Amino acid sequence: MKIMGRLFGGQLPFMFSFPALLWQGIFLYTPLCMLLVHSFFDIDPVTLTYVFTLKHYVHIFKSLYIGIVMRSLWLAIVTVFFCFLIAYPVAYYLAIRGAARYRAFLLFSLILPSWTSLIVQIYAWFFLLEKNGFLSRLLTKIGIISSSTHLLNNFFSILIGMVCCYVPFMILPIYAVLEKMDKRYLEVSADLGANRFQTFCRVVLPLSLPGVYAGLLLVFIPSWGEFAIPMFLGGSKYMFWGNLIVEKFLISAEWGTGGALVMVGVIFIVLLITSCYAIGRFIHYWRERKSKLQYQGASYKELWT
Amino acid sequence: MRSIRLVGVSKSYDGELILDNISLEVPAGQFFTILGPSGCGKTTILRLIAGLETVDAGHIYLGDEDITNVPIHKRQINTVFQQYALFPHLTVFENVAYSLRIKKMGEETIRSKVFEALKMARLIGLESKNPRSLSGGQQQRVAIARAIVSQPEVLLLDEPLAALDLKLKEQLLVELGALQDALGTTFVYITHDQFEALTVADRMAIMNEHGNIEQIGTPKEIYEFPHSRFVANFVGATNILEGTLHIDEGTHQVEVFGLGLFNVFIPVEKFWMIPGCRLYVSIRPEKIFVSKKIMSGFSNHLTGQIVDIVYYGRSTQYRVRLSNGQYLLVFEQNEEHFPQETITYDDEVHLYFQKENAVLLEH
Repeated sequence: MKIMGRLFGGQLPFMFSFPALLWQGIFLYTPLCMLLVHSFFDIDPVTLTYVFTLKHYVHIFKSLYIGIVMRSLWLAIVTVFFCFLIAYPVAYYLAIRGAARYRAFLLFSLILPSWTSLIVQIYAWFFLLEKNGFLSRLLTKIGIISSSTHLLNNFFSILIGMVCCYVPFMILPIYAVLEKMDKRYLEVSADLGANRFQTFCRVVLPLSLPGVYAGLLLVFIPSWGEFAIPMFLGGSKYMFWGNLIVEKFLISAEWGTGGALVMVGVIFIVLLITSCYAIGRFIHYWRERKSKLQYQGASYKELWT
Repeated sequence: MRSIRLVGVSKSYDGELILDNISLEVPAGQFFTILGPSGCGKTTILRLIAGLETVDAGHIYLGDEDITNVPIHKRQINTVFQQYALFPHLTVFENVAYSLRIKKMGEETIRSKVFEALKMARLIGLESKNPRSLSGGQQQRVAIARAIVSQPEVLLLDEPLAALDLKLKEQLLVELGALQDALGTTFVYITHDQFEALTVADRMAIMNEHGNIEQIGTPKEIYEFPHSRFVANFVGATNILEGTLHIDEGTHQVEVFGLGLFNVFIPVEKFWMIPGCRLYVSIRPEKIFVSKKIMSGFSNHLTGQIVDIVYYGRSTQYRVRLSNGQYLLVFEQNEEHFPQETITYDDEVHLYFQKENAVLLEH
């Protein structure tokens, strides 16, 4: 190890990651660059040569496409929201309140669906939600819905599929953080007079925020580009960003427009996430500065009086 | 400031009985230490008082109020935990302010109370620091400030100095004592370190490994007049001789197998000591005088051979083999720069002790 370190002059960690970078470079960044190139060129029908053009970008900034992007964003946000609502209590139960002896089993059964193909998971919901399917018949029997109500092919069915597929990606990072958290903080908090709710708000939630952020990203990014779930559970009624790209590339073969859509989508999402991060940092910095000033003021006052 | 009283408290974990029918009173405003070996259940007592655990049987009183079923967050009792457990996402100021924020006090009140506590814990200037950037001693001070800021009736300290080095420990012990004097709060201090327990305590309780309280008293009572061999051995070092009691015409003597008769003194409270009963004699090593010369003026005399010498600086520890094969520990103060006699390995020595300095024990 020492010899290797000397040979590579302290660049050893980088050298180890080189194969992975190479892999990513060939199979991810190269195609992305090709898409980028495609999005700026068009085949001239007369000369059959590539000519530079911005028309794909002009083309996609139409209200139709903007509406689709907004709808995708809305789906991603709603998915993230419901995933969080479901995931946090589950992670909290698993890591803090649940009996340790069931923990492994519960975690296992949580991850088990991810071992099957996404299509299998979607079809499972398909059979549950279809007309005269299990759920539909159950709800009709109870009398909540009439037998003519469709449970499939609407925003609701898409959302169920999305949340169901993505909720483990929210649970696991939150669970990991809560599990690692020193449980004595809970005892200290209670000892200092906080009830369970106060302890949750003042200790558990702030300490679990790194896991929450990781979960938000892990769910938000893929659900923003998801196309399989809307396709199967939404019928073809709803078009999302992912479906649109699939259509441009596979059905209508408009590679230029498809490339432009991908580029705009990627830039949009990167900007969105970095600005959220920047806002978060700014709030943190601002609060820290404010409290520091406050202490200093008080401290001087205390010291000089 | 109120007293803490445990009456007939029992507690078991997973079917294992940790505390069996414990009764204990900690008077109001005292610095009370509970000393016992690891795993004796002393931490369980603390957790029961704090409300972190519930009793299986018995009652806990704060003053006259029965707090057995009062939930933890409603007890006016705060704890300083062994590993400090400072909230990592809060500054020192916010850590200390935690209990006040829970009580939804005004910003001005919180600030003045927090700074008062920080001043007492000598932490002024560190209030905007993150607790993880502080040294062990400073973190411990933050934990103490956090626990005292809301003026609890009782402060529980669970081996608070166990992770600190000796010098810092001594310094913090002195500070803790001063703090307790200033606050007047009842302190219950748990430790397995007899040095800590003796130094700070007004009164102390000694627990044995079975979770029973062997003796309660002032440090001096515990050290000088232990009630049992366990206490004598656990607090400080001692020599135990087993023998039979003889009483003839007002002279009290203990016959130890192979060593002959020793003069002893029986205080009035040891009325149970009747001629012929088996008992133990405990003699502290520093109460034995060692010399190579024959001396007079002592009630008891033994001879032996030096087998081991440990030089501690201010004192020297000798291990002496007696004629019956038993070993005796002897401490001598190194009072002189050039001692009058040098004792080395294998020297035949005379050992002397006064009868008043030997404590008679039943068990």
